[in-house]
Amino acid sequence: MEPVLEINDLSTHIQLSRSVVQAVGNISMSIAPGETLGLVGESGCGKSMTGLSIMRLLPNGGKVVGGSIKLSGVELTKLSDADIRDVRGNEVAMIFQDSLTSLNPTMNIGRQIAEQVRKHRHVSRAEALERAAEALSIVGFPNSKERLDNFPHQLSGGQRQRVMIAIALSCDPKLLIADEPTTALDVTIQAQILGLLDDLKQRLGMAVLLVTHDMGVVAGRADRVNVMYAGRIVESAPTTELFTHMHHPYTQALLGSIPLLTQNRSERLFSIPGIPPDLTDPPPGCRFAPRCSRATDQCRTEEPALEPATNDHHFACWHPVDGPIVRTTIAVNGTAPAPAGAGEAEHSDAAPGAPETVAARNGSAAEPAFGARGWQSGEGDDRLLVVDDVVREYPVTSGVILQRKVASVKAVSGVSFTVGRGETFGLVGESGCGKTTLGKVIVGLEKADKGQVALRGTNVTGLRDRQLRRFRKDLQMMFQDPIASLDPRMRVGAILREPMKIQGIGTKRQQDKVIADLLGEVGLPANAVERFPHEFSGGQRQRIGLARALTLNPQVIVADEPVSALDVSIRSQVLNLMKRLQETHGITYIVISHDLAVVKFLADRIGVMYLGKLVEMGTGEDIYLRPVHHYTAGLIATVPEPDPMREKSKSEVGIKGELPSPVTPPSGCRFRTRCPAAQQICAEEEPPFRPFHPGHVAACHFPLQQPIDGGDPLAAQAGTAPTIAGS
Amino acid sequence: MTAYLIRRLVTSLIVILGIALVTFLMTHIIAPSPGRAILGDRASRAAVNAFDNAHGYDRPVWVQFGSYLWQLVHGNLGYSYKLNQTVDSLIAENAPHSMWLSGISVFLSIVIAIPLGIFQAVKRNSVADQAITAAAFTAYSMPQNFLGILLIGFLAIQWHLFPAEASQSERIIPYIFAFHSNFLPIATLTITAVAGYSRYMRSAGLDALAQDYIRLARAKGLTEPTVLRRHLLRNAILPMVTLIGLSIPLLLAGNLVVEYLYNSHGLGLLFINELGNEDFPTVIALTLLGGIATVVGNFVADVALTVADPRIRIN
Repeated sequence: MEPVLEINDLSTHIQLSRSVVQAVGNISMSIAPGETLGLVGESGCGKSMTGLSIMRLLPNGGKVVGGSIKLSGVELTKLSDADIRDVRGNEVAMIFQDSLTSLNPTMNIGRQIAEQVRKHRHVSRAEALERAAEALSIVGFPNSKERLDNFPHQLSGGQRQRVMIAIALSCDPKLLIADEPTTALDVTIQAQILGLLDDLKQRLGMAVLLVTHDMGVVAGRADRVNVMYAGRIVESAPTTELFTHMHHPYTQALLGSIPLLTQNRSERLFSIPGIPPDLTDPPPGCRFAPRCSRATDQCRTEEPALEPATNDHHFACWHPVDGPIVRTTIAVNGTAPAPAGAGEAEHSDAAPGAPETVAARNGSAAEPAFGARGWQSGEGDDRLLVVDDVVREYPVTSGVILQRKVASVKAVSGVSFTVGRGETFGLVGESGCGKTTLGKVIVGLEKADKGQVALRGTNVTGLRDRQLRRFRKDLQMMFQDPIASLDPRMRVGAILREPMKIQGIGTKRQQDKVIADLLGEVGLPANAVERFPHEFSGGQRQRIGLARALTLNPQVIVADEPVSALDVSIRSQVLNLMKRLQETHGITYIVISHDLAVVKFLADRIGVMYLGKLVEMGTGEDIYLRPVHHYTAGLIATVPEPDPMREKSKSEVGIKGELPSPVTPPSGCRFRTRCPAAQQICAEEEPPFRPFHPGHVAACHFPLQQPIDGGDPLAAQAGTAPTIAGS
Repeated sequence: MTAYLIRRLVTSLIVILGIALVTFLMTHIIAPSPGRAILGDRASRAAVNAFDNAHGYDRPVWVQFGSYLWQLVHGNLGYSYKLNQTVDSLIAENAPHSMWLSGISVFLSIVIAIPLGIFQAVKRNSVADQAITAAAFTAYSMPQNFLGILLIGFLAIQWHLFPAEASQSERIIPYIFAFHSNFLPIATLTITAVAGYSRYMRSAGLDALAQDYIRLARAKGLTEPTVLRRHLLRNAILPMVTLIGLSIPLLLAGNLVVEYLYNSHGLGLLFINELGNEDFPTVIALTLLGGIATVVGNFVADVALTVADPRIRIN
């Protein structure tokens, strides 16, 4: 079949004031009708610029300097401005990452869809609105006619993304370019949107160019994948082939550095040293050579061409590898997580991953010590940090003249857990579940409305001023955004010295020594003290953030999304570093993330939060292999994993609907509105925490497993069929 | 939205009450005994007392404030003993001139500045943009009286294009149609305002241009003029609404410098003249009026923004 899109030897440059960024260099690709081509790579690799080159929507200074882009045989690079406008939105449509900023806030969504229809279809306003309503109903809006008058701010993030998709498909394009279409969304919504895109592609027969950094997303959705690095396509293959028989060391390393849900967490993550090259002055040979372990002199001087290995598998490398890095994983039976602790087979397979868990489970199933609070402690008596029934609510005010509190946003509603010394506790959940607020309450940046946080038996929430300042020394925080969390006008030395100054620790010379030691530990050069944060890359800045958190030698570090802003290859460096520093300093971490794989890699125990409540708590294996709560199981089912076999076998959308308002959370179990097993009792009674294995608790009326308070848990489980997780 | 507006109205009234209190206290501090001020230094003690007693100036302060407020509510701003007429009639004579002069200038500057600022944002860093920027900075940083003198010097004295004095008509209709006579005061006000507004508009335009919805609009295949008109303009002028609302005090209180410079009838000229005459009731009434106009301007800006921005209008 004739390809919809054919790109040949395309090069795109961006002219800056003093230099030229060679954003895209000599790439070729083609997409057949009805095919999804994944274009993956890290930020700055040129994947988005490729999409924008096709649309000729490059930023200021951007220009296609060579090659051809053919859409159904028509050369796009040669079209006049007026002609390319007839292509945009009509034959090629594009959807962008951020649906909040991509829709015009001052125009209702009906007009925003209709204006494109009117531009390309020359129909009346009424007919265009008719088509807009039709497009909205295709993307899953019930009562789409009434929705036309809505403004973007009245819609949720997922709904806005649906509107953007409705705009894209309103003129039946041949090609859809989806540039990070789900990156700004929560996993449960991401699964819904990706499912919708897949469905539309099949129904409308579009070709899709799926641009993303997320290997998990392409694994499940793409037919073929092109891997980009530093402006070049380094490897191109059918999806399964690419994940299982890659030849380029970059593809291998990229996949190897992603923490998997099945990851054996005692093993270090593979990581690629260094950072991607500066594209204003790319290296002469293979662009990956400076970071490649197999690089030879030939690689450094001579650039390899994209050569076919087989008919449809191309790669550009002088010293190819064959297949993925071998890493030990915990065993998983079947293609979906096996909620029922699948008997004996699992025990033997799980040995390298979690010997202690297995031992604990075999030894002590339902011992009496398993009391009201016993489950909260992971490390016996060593209860370093106790979070007890913490509540944090923000008032919602209303009133004509006097603002009075009419309701409250229930950010955190009674969360309790205990963390032992040296342990890592992970908090995972979607945005708006209260995990960040809880983290702030723990370090004392937010007050708890109720409940307490105790460090070594002292209630920190009740402290003020000087006493609190003394305790802050032991409770430090590491932030998500490595740019915004470092003062741009302070040198790194001053940033690291400031905590010691505030606490009045050490002489200047002693402080200098601490700073020098810390920089060494986090892998930054000693001269970093003289430099400003903007002189460092994102990964380096996150190292500075970690060093700052370590300056006072705290007992607990709360890391809020510590690697979310980082690229995959940099992410694994920081994750490994965090683990290493924990071993050398004996720190206790509380890791907060929406990314289950990251939390699972770092944490000994995980708490799953939903809408201000903890719904399940246990070891990583408990959560992943034996989820009890339907939310946990659904969450695991929706996390895209970089494994085509598992992704493609996953059944439909894991969790339906959207997060209810935290102002008026559902009665009883807060998850009931989205739960497949919900019944009357779920609305009437809040489920209590019940133990399911030693250290594994969950709050659900209809758990996926049998709680252990009645009889032998293993025997009981054998009869319980899992009802979710698509097995 | 209605609740918001009512709340906003009530707070505005409270602020106006505060302004009234301050202006009242100012009167009281400047002239605790108006009888002495009016009758002069040589009047006898008894005459002064009799005057104060007759006009109620010997009552307790809070009673006087109450009656002051009562008068205000009834639209009575006081009596100018120097000009021997009520302040109300002074304002009625002078306000229309000020409102016309300031109003037409604000209107012209908006009409000029919005397209100019958008043009600069779209053609950012081009030669035209930089030339306009340089001109705007020059005009903006120049004192208004100096700009006026320059205009008079060249356009009136050197080239005899326009008269150096505004229309002297005391009636408003002829004053309005005296475009030729009033060209220079209007130009002076407009140039200064355009300089400020266009800078603001340029930066608002740049902010809006960087938004993803502009890119999406282009991705829909819309032509550039449509993108700018439909998607950029509406969003970029939202911040301007507030700025324009803050120009409303100018309409009511007049423009001191320009009216004085071109000897134009108006509240500004009145203010300066009566300041020299030590006509405190007039000066203080005009101060109060300026304060009220500022509050009203803010209120109008908030209402306009509520109407213009669906994010505030529809919750």
